[in-house]
Amino acid sequence: MHGYYGTYLTVVVLFAIGAAIVGGAFLANRALRPHRPTPEKLTTYECGVDPVGEGWAQSYVRYYVFAYLYVVFAVDAVFLFPWATVFSAKGYGYVTLGEMFVFLAFIAAGLAYAWKKGVLGWV
Amino acid sequence: MIQSIGYLAILPALIVAVASVAVLMADAFGAPAKAIGGLTVVSLVGAAVALPFGHGRSTFCAAATRAGEHVSCSYVADDFTVLFQAVVLLAAIVVVLLSHGEMRRSALPVGEYHFLLLAAILGALLLAAGRDLITLVVALETLSLPVFALVALRRYDGTASEAALKLFLVSVVSSAVTLFGISLVYGVTGAMHLDRVAAGLTHVHGDLRPVAAAGIALTVAGFGFKIAAVPFHFWAPDVYQGSPLPVAAFLSVVSKAGGFAGLTLVLTAGFWPYGNTWGPLMGVLSAATMTLGNLLALRQTDAVRLLAWSSVAQSGYILAPMAGGAHVRPHQWMTATAAYVAMYAIMNIGAFAVVTVAARRGIRDLESYRGLARANPGSGLALAFFLLCLAGLPPGIMGLLAKVVVFRAAVGGAATWLAVIMAVNTVIGLYYYLTWAARLFAAGEARRVRAGRAGGVAIAVALAGAVVVSAAPELVLHAAALAVP
Repeated sequence: MHGYYGTYLTVVVLFAIGAAIVGGAFLANRALRPHRPTPEKLTTYECGVDPVGEGWAQSYVRYYVFAYLYVVFAVDAVFLFPWATVFSAKGYGYVTLGEMFVFLAFIAAGLAYAWKKGVLGWV
Repeated sequence: MIQSIGYLAILPALIVAVASVAVLMADAFGAPAKAIGGLTVVSLVGAAVALPFGHGRSTFCAAATRAGEHVSCSYVADDFTVLFQAVVLLAAIVVVLLSHGEMRRSALPVGEYHFLLLAAILGALLLAAGRDLITLVVALETLSLPVFALVALRRYDGTASEAALKLFLVSVVSSAVTLFGISLVYGVTGAMHLDRVAAGLTHVHGDLRPVAAAGIALTVAGFGFKIAAVPFHFWAPDVYQGSPLPVAAFLSVVSKAGGFAGLTLVLTAGFWPYGNTWGPLMGVLSAATMTLGNLLALRQTDAVRLLAWSSVAQSGYILAPMAGGAHVRPHQWMTATAAYVAMYAIMNIGAFAVVTVAARRGIRDLESYRGLARANPGSGLALAFFLLCLAGLPPGIMGLLAKVVVFRAAVGGAATWLAVIMAVNTVIGLYYYLTWAARLFAAGEARRVRAGRAGGVAIAVALAGAVVVSAAPELVLHAAALAVP
């Protein structure tokens, strides 16, 4: 175990040991348990009740819009924090302040668009 | 350190950016569709008018950090930039005019459509002006991302969704490849500004030479996607066919002009010390692109698909001068490439304008073009002229000259084999352009098409451009020669 790639060998060995433990447990289980399947035993377990309907169900993904809108604020914050630490320093000043508000206005345009399109109301 | 911004330099891009947001807001707050289309055209004209004011300026400059370095700027509005931005803006105006009729017919959301279009145009403008790898990649993405949405905008159309998905997947893969290439180049040179990359590449440590070469080849891949060069071409026909036709016109002209501007900049300003590596690569790409594009164009029966494959083939011609690599001074081949892109933009946008207008009457199949020039002398003759330009025959002097310029550059670049392949390809091209043009005049009953006011203006603008450049080609040739340092 020398050099840069040698250190990765430790990781690989660790993975191998982990895989051996999990695989060994399953193998031991299989070797020891009895195996007598019936159709009832092979159905999906649903709290002991007979399963109803299909495995595929359609669900209404309602949160993705809020995930998008969150990105608007996240991008805001990413630029606001570093700006806040320097804007009062020497040589910056009102122009810097104004530039940030221009940037915020651009971001706010996205929010205004979402609001106008009725995205913000909870259905 | 405070960076001052040269607002005059970025004025054209700024106008387009502000207009894109304004258009989106105006639509959300209930402005009529006509006003939105008008605002878009006005902003594009305004940006074109603002071009001379920014000329010769540069901004977003970084001071030298090491000995022997100069100030490097990320945004430079030199002659090259202004020429390409002018081409992009003029083609974009025609595209917006063409979109006018498409809005109602395909029930496209007006505000979103114009917003996305302006955002993509902004990307193309920046691509011609960016002088560092990060700016260029961001511009490339700004050009690509809105286009996926534009293609998919006809939401209940299966072909449109399929086209958008294809475009998206190819684009994402090529972006990833490009970013990997750029990371290799950065690793070797430690610089992002193109002039510093070039300085770094002139003395690369022996072990790192293959890494630099691989980085350059991978970086070029992303631009290859934008211009539909061969390994990244197969999205073109499906996307052109599935998207609204003005968007197809945008892809084949504006987006392609932007891609070529970026590719030219990266190769000359950044990667010229490795001309021996990328020169032959460009030669092979060029030969494969033009041959495949032309052979497949031969078999098309649909007008839009034919234009798609022919525009793949045209990309091959534009790439040909680059095969010179280190043998030719960049000046010569860049002039040829810039001139060809400008001329190609005019003639191809014209052909697309007529095809878009005709498609409104259900004329999409090549057979249904039979007799178009008899039923509609105006648009029929215009289409015939554009096709002759594309084929490179008189009276389409423009196309002929563009071909001659490219041939001269290829032969001068010691890539004689490429010139031979190009000659064969030009003959193949003649066949399908001419059979199409001949159909226009053949006996047959093509339906009457109504161009409408906006469509008529769009065709007239393109035709005026084509006639002026055919009569006085030195306008473009001089501009291209001037534009190249």
